[in-house]
Amino acid sequence: MVDLESWKSQLRKGASELVILSLIGEQAASGTQLLDALAAAPEIGLSDGAMYPLLNRLEREGRIAGRWETPKSGGRGLKKYRLTADGQAALKKMQASWRLFRDDLDAALGERR
Amino acid sequence: MSDADRIETYLKSLARALRGLAESDRDDILNEIRAHLEHRAGEKRLDEAIKALGAPESCARGFLDELKLQTAFTDAGPAKTFGALLALASRRLTAAAGLFVSGIFFLFAFGFAATGVIEMVTPDKAGFFVDQVEGVYVFGAVDAPGPNTRELLGRWMIPVAAALAVLSFVAGQSLGRFFVGLMVKRAGPRAV
Repeated sequence: MVDLESWKSQLRKGASELVILSLIGEQAASGTQLLDALAAAPEIGLSDGAMYPLLNRLEREGRIAGRWETPKSGGRGLKKYRLTADGQAALKKMQASWRLFRDDLDAALGERR
Repeated sequence: MSDADRIETYLKSLARALRGLAESDRDDILNEIRAHLEHRAGEKRLDEAIKALGAPESCARGFLDELKLQTAFTDAGPAKTFGALLALASRRLTAAAGLFVSGIFFLFAFGFAATGVIEMVTPDKAGFFVDQVEGVYVFGAVDAPGPNTRELLGRWMIPVAAALAVLSFVAGQSLGRFFVGLMVKRAGPRAV
């Protein structure tokens, strides 16, 4: 019997970093905003409990930079993340690599269909 | 319990679970989680948010695991760094020993080959000399054999020197390969 959940979690591990960099690359966002954006994509499977540690690591590694911003309407601020130059370079490489991987995988699956 | 109280309770447990971190790192995490929970409370989704973050201990483990992943590649502790250095040094040592041992055999090969050539050019200066009075054995070339010295091999010196040269060369090569094999086996642990 295939342990589908554990296999899916392996698949998601590498993908979640690419998803986060890609979303932040489009627009600066807080963790809460990223989670909202991904609410419509449950298959990505990035939970609240995984999002913040990942953001924390990406910031430590210098691929994203966070800054506290207070909304104009007042209220508590949000830590918004932007891509650094390193993050932009990493995103480009990861996107290219992902596209090649996806094409090869599609081809391999297509042959066996 | 009010939403604010529930958030404080959650953050207190999270802070306890993160006590191994530097204070500034911990505060940074706590501030962000606080902002997230307060934002969700404003949307009347605090229950859902606390459930999605998981128990404070498991939420903390997520941060600690990601941190471990990062430090393993950047500033590893002294034990790890020392281990990696040791592995590196032992490879260098293996390389040095290999170079030395196989180098000696290559020198022997060259020496025997040269002796064979000298035997061809000046037969009386190369050979297997035995000084029976002093009990000295010399295989190779000598400038002037002493009065008590006898040469044992004669023209056989050429094939014998050639065979010894080939043997030494093969031995040097095999030992070199053996040491390279040792190094490949030790190539596992990489420098950090």
